[in-house]
Amino acid sequence: MTPARARKARGRAGSEVAGGSRLDEVVRTARIVVCCGSGGVGKTSTAAALAVRAAEQGRRTCVLTIDPARRLAQALGLDLLSNSPSPVSKGLRGPGSLDAMMLDMRRTFDELIERYARDQQQADRILANRFYQRVSSTLAGTQEYMAMEKLYELHESRRWELLVVDTPPTRSALDFLDAPDNLNELLDARMFRLLIAPAQRIGRGYLRGLNLATSAMARMVRRLTGSELLAEVGEFFAAFEGMYEGFRSRAQHVYDLLKDPGTQFVVVATPDAPALREAAFLAGRLAADRMPLGALVVNRVHQAGPVPEVPPEVVAKLAAGSDDARLLADLLTQHQTLEALAAAEQRRVRELTASVPSLPTVQVPLLADDVHDLPGLRRLGAQLFA
Amino acid sequence: MLTELLDRARLLVVTGKGGTGKTTVAGALATAAARRGRRTLVVEVEGRQGLAALFGRPPLGHQETRVADGVMGLAVDPEESLREYLGRYGAAPLARLLSWARLTRFITAAAPGLGDILLVGKVWEATTRRRPRQGARFYDLVVLDAPPTGRIVPFLRAPETVAELARVGPIRHQAERVRELLDDPELTRMVLVCLPEELPVTETLEGASLLRAARLPLGPVVVNRVSADHLGDRGGRLAALAREPGPLAEAATQAGAELDTRALAVLVGEARDQRRRVEAERRMLRELRAGLAGLPVVELPLLLDGVTGAAEVATLAERLTADGPTGRADPAPA
Repeated sequence: MTPARARKARGRAGSEVAGGSRLDEVVRTARIVVCCGSGGVGKTSTAAALAVRAAEQGRRTCVLTIDPARRLAQALGLDLLSNSPSPVSKGLRGPGSLDAMMLDMRRTFDELIERYARDQQQADRILANRFYQRVSSTLAGTQEYMAMEKLYELHESRRWELLVVDTPPTRSALDFLDAPDNLNELLDARMFRLLIAPAQRIGRGYLRGLNLATSAMARMVRRLTGSELLAEVGEFFAAFEGMYEGFRSRAQHVYDLLKDPGTQFVVVATPDAPALREAAFLAGRLAADRMPLGALVVNRVHQAGPVPEVPPEVVAKLAAGSDDARLLADLLTQHQTLEALAAAEQRRVRELTASVPSLPTVQVPLLADDVHDLPGLRRLGAQLFA
Repeated sequence: MLTELLDRARLLVVTGKGGTGKTTVAGALATAAARRGRRTLVVEVEGRQGLAALFGRPPLGHQETRVADGVMGLAVDPEESLREYLGRYGAAPLARLLSWARLTRFITAAAPGLGDILLVGKVWEATTRRRPRQGARFYDLVVLDAPPTGRIVPFLRAPETVAELARVGPIRHQAERVRELLDDPELTRMVLVCLPEELPVTETLEGASLLRAARLPLGPVVVNRVSADHLGDRGGRLAALAREPGPLAEAATQAGAELDTRALAVLVGEARDQRRRVEAERRMLRELRAGLAGLPVVELPLLLDGVTGAAEVATLAERLTADGPTGRADPAPA
């Protein structure tokens, strides 16, 4: 697909705001770009293509990915074991620099514990706790939260001018917006401490009701699960003592950082109904939290080239003719299928853009080949910034 | 094999990478089974109302509702289930003090996996439910639109993971009964949904080995949105015509089709793009089949208008049972 044809297709969609120049501005000026969208829409490739563009235009850039395809990871020179950024040296053009890393959620959590624990003994107690081991790898939202902790760490290091983040492919791709709240709720669990604290420690009157409640709760949890689990939970919270404040304040910093105008969200979708529904939900959620929404990227858009309409009886005549005539009939049928598909997709994209007014939109035509190397990312970039 | 599965299985767990069309395939499997005369329930557990959107119905609630001919639908709400469950264990007075929302958050944090246990428990309940009087089964088949591959094993094994920590109590007891249902290849099969693309194929192969390692019985893999191939073995001729389109122009003129050189070049270009895509998909399908070591693979076509209504779901349901898949299922352990 040529850029000229791609522009033409974009021009057809009436209410859309052209997004290419907007994306260009985003990678030139933003300090943080967050790509979000449902799973399988090309978030990682889009994030990587934005990062390559920024780097080749001269910015010191780092891309934080969650779950890249194997070959893309190789192309970016990702060291899957390090859990820290390493330079993408091969094949990058221009004056900037590009680093890339893949998030290891468990490891990030462990590192946080190591870094912020009072001493090694506290760290060891937490890391060995069975409740921690379960929370750190299975509790919904942990991955989102760890992505944000990593983002904060990279941001604080001030080594980069632009950080591009790919969000986890979970149902609610914006769960990380709730992560500070959820974590506060969990760690602010006076409730938990009460749950395990001896009753005499609760002297103050206003807590008496809670104390009653929590001992009743402790009884209930015990009844459901036996007392061992409860003991593990108690130990975890006891071990965590003194680290709550740090977690809470970092969570708040991340939230503020995401709201900063230096941050831009890019919502990524495909022209499938479920992906577009998710994109509409994300755009709405970002607006509700007053998060800066940069652009919508719709990947894998089918496009049909300009071919005059051929009446069915002529196609039928071709289909009954020579080998080449039959081939031409098949080409026409295939073209009509493609036209119908493209039209249906445009209808669905228009429905979304109509529901989110003045959202700059970029449509990326379906590429015949997978994107798995720097030239591929550049080709994708050429479409993104057209 | 698929028809046999639809006629005999009691529970189909549909999982796969995000974006591959799990909900669509779950809906199509349920519809196909209903058309074969089985009383079918399709269940979603992630609170996203994907089934309602798929069948073009208003949002599903905690009550089982008809979504298509012979197909009931249910959206299990984790919080609602937890509330119900805690209520049974005398949590109502606590809830008055703390509010249900806070209480459920605390309990979920205190017993991670409890939410999943309740969801799996509900699926188990629906699958094993009997009619009060004659004792006949309430549903012949339950199709679960399950969490994605990355979460499926912890999700299905949540009951026993917590049971390991909880040596006593109702959770332990229920975990054993859930396991009996899930581990029995005569009753239950995992259906992995895939796309003919690199990432989904990789994740499907990883998912299959994770499920095997967890001793959960694998069923067929459904490859969704496979592009149609209109050209067959005429790729070589097409390449020749791309260089020298004269014969095409001639055929067009003879038939009275008004197609100039530019239009013909567009047609040939589109066909060659499609051809490359079809070939790339075939490579991915070969890689998938090789990696699956004999598991049956069923292909579903890319539908033009997307799948947004009972009619399209029925079309896919027909395709599911139309041509026999290749390969065999994991043999039932002796």
